Amino acid sequence: MLETDKLTKQFKDVIAVDDVSLVLMRGESVGLLGPNGAGKSTAIAMISTLMKPSSGDVRLNGKSVLKKPDDMRRVLGVVPQKIALYEELSAYENLKFFGRLYGLSGNKLEQRIEYVLELVGLADRKKELVKNYSGGMQRRVNLAAAMMHEPEVLIMDEPTVGIDPQSRNHLLETIRKLNRDEGMTVLYTSHYMEEVEKLCDRVYIMDHGKVIAEGTKEELKAILSDQETVLIEFDQNYPELFIKLSEIEGVQHSTIEEQSLKLIIPRGTRMLAALFHEAERYGAQVINVNVQTPTLEDVFLRLTGRKLRD
Amino acid sequence: MGAFLIKDIMLLLRDRSELLILLAMPFLLIAILGFSLRGIFSGDLEALEMDIALVSEENEAQAVASIQNEIEEMGLPPEQAQALTQAAEAASPQTMLVSLFEDESLSELITIERMDRQQAQQSLDEETVDAVITLPEGFTQKSLKNMLFGSKEGSELELLAADLSSPQTDVLDSILNEFVRTVNFEASISRLSGQDSAVEVSGGIETITAREPITSFQYYTIGMAVMFVLFVGSTIAGQANLEQKQMVFDRIRLSNRSPLLYLSSKAIAASAIVTVQLALLFILSALLFQTFAADSWAFWSGIAIISITLAFSVGCLAALMVAITLRLESDAVPAIFSGGVISLMAFVGGSFMPLDGMPEMLRAIGNWTPNGAALSAYFSWLLEPDLGQLTEPLMRIGIVAVVFLLLALALFPRKGGAA
Ligand SMILES: Nc1ncnc2c1ncn2[C@@H]1O[C@H](COP(=O)(O)OP(=O)(O)OP(=O)(O)O)[C@@H](O)[C@H]1O
Ligand SMILES: [Mg+2]
Repeated sequence: MLETDKLTKQFKDVIAVDDVSLVLMRGESVGLLGPNGAGKSTAIAMISTLMKPSSGDVRLNGKSVLKKPDDMRRVLGVVPQKIALYEELSAYENLKFFGRLYGLSGNKLEQRIEYVLELVGLADRKKELVKNYSGGMQRRVNLAAAMMHEPEVLIMDEPTVGIDPQSRNHLLETIRKLNRDEGMTVLYTSHYMEEVEKLCDRVYIMDHGKVIAEGTKEELKAILSDQETVLIEFDQNYPELFIKLSEIEGVQHSTIEEQSLKLIIPRGTRMLAALFHEAERYGAQVINVNVQTPTLEDVFLRLTGRKLRD
Repeated sequence: MGAFLIKDIMLLLRDRSELLILLAMPFLLIAILGFSLRGIFSGDLEALEMDIALVSEENEAQAVASIQNEIEEMGLPPEQAQALTQAAEAASPQTMLVSLFEDESLSELITIERMDRQQAQQSLDEETVDAVITLPEGFTQKSLKNMLFGSKEGSELELLAADLSSPQTDVLDSILNEFVRTVNFEASISRLSGQDSAVEVSGGIETITAREPITSFQYYTIGMAVMFVLFVGSTIAGQANLEQKQMVFDRIRLSNRSPLLYLSSKAIAASAIVTVQLALLFILSALLFQTFAADSWAFWSGIAIISITLAFSVGCLAALMVAITLRLESDAVPAIFSGGVISLMAFVGGSFMPLDGMPEMLRAIGNWTPNGAALSAYFSWLLEPDLGQLTEPLMRIGIVAVVFLLLALALFPRKGGAA
């Protein structure tokens, strides 16, 4: 129902979003994954009609929204990366204001406020000023405010940044419920792989303004299907040994951590013998060897040579 | 619109520090300036009260007699000689000075007591008198000669004050100067034209007390009121900046509401706040400092008309500031405005002191600031409650307001600013 066509945004000296084409089907839950500065927020600002693209188009049900943003704005609930609320007002007052902007009033308004507060689990604390809430509670109200006008599509820009695990779980649960039970279409932006893996059916991976991979979780992991990730733990750090091991024939990628080494190798490579042999030569003790199935994190690593989070 | 307005007003009520600046601060300044500068505005009669010792170092009767002798020895025709003798008696400067202070307009303020030099000095030291006027030897004679024969030799008197820099001393000094000038020069003129010099003297002093019948409290209530309403402009623009920064402005844009509703709400909220602000300041000042006679409906309706016009123009000013702030996506405008422009406008608008002595240019600019124009409207209403006199300053406020409004509409980023 929603798509972008070669969406591009150029600021003075950076191309923040470069030729991005996304599709969102009704009822789908789609993840937009990428490290800091990948261009996720910029893309979302253009999709939600808050920013004009340098080129490209955004379409809702086949119609461009650039000239006439009204329809898009009606169906869209946007949860911005920042807390877009009046800090000096209570949660209730914020929701009341935003509800009235969408033409709600009287009983209907009160009911809707009750509903969204219930949804994010803040019904009993609605009278407190937003500035006195914890970060997690603010995030929840941020979501509630986007839900006031019963949107069909929920666009979320890193809604879990900087919050406690409890609030995070609550938020993720809420979103999953909205998507699974109420058929809400969700575009979920994050640089947390676990969240996207948990929530989303399909994933776009962005880096440096470009979509570098897309597909279902399985399709993406299939990129790594011919490979294995081997995690080797040592009793301590052996810099020279680690480098030596990274250079063993067949190793496609390696990551050195404190006492461990992560290697991506072609499936079926026999390298354990070589590993133990080298370890012995350096007098190193191998504590654990673990062959893992790939995660989206590994996919990203493979695609960009970098980790998602620094 | 209702939703916007309720939100804007609520935000302001929650902001304690802004409220303090908008309401408590002007009131504090009215109190401080009103009390400390009481004497400058001579309408404050009780503040000018003072006790004066008059020391005469000569024998007045003797001096008059000696002048009369001189007249007789001049060998004038008898009628003229008699007229001059009588004039010498009537125009005796010491008597004139005393009767000047006993005159109706001054006797309420100044009590004068004859003392000898020692006694006077002691009283001054003990602060039972505020000033000592000394008429030195020969004062009467010189003055009379000057008045009657037009001699060139002037007479002098001496003023000794406990506090040289006090406003009372200033006033007394100017009264005495006027007096000395009168006995030395103007009296000679009046001799020629045959007028009664005593009338001239009191006439000269009358102008001193009647020059500015506006009290310091009236002055500063109005001065601070028209200054502090300007802060509403930066407060409102500051709010808009915060809304943009915290991205609630984006939420508002997403709601499909016309951004013009948002802008109008800001203007109306500003006007409403200014109205409340002015009402509070005037009423509190009237109640606590007896600044205005609180019982005249006619008077208050004039004040209300001016206030509402001013509120409207500040509303338009706020809209302009909001428009620029959103366009620049920065809080520079409200910051610069409250950090300097307001003081400048208040100064050229005459909020701190009367602009009587200032260059014409400055006064012309001041007259076109909303605060300056409102200030002169309030003063003119205070001096003479005549609606006709208000038309011109109110027109100026209105014209400026419309200019602000048009600029605001031109600069307001209708689509919300994002490039
Ligand atoms: N208004 C702007 N002017 C100039 N450059 C911008 C602007 N907004 C974003 N950028 C640049 O565009 C790039 C993409 O930024 P964007 O905020 O879209 O990334 P992001 O994926 O949302 O990152 P994060 O995870 O940190 O939120 C960055 O290099 C950023 O510096
Ligand atoms: Mg972002």
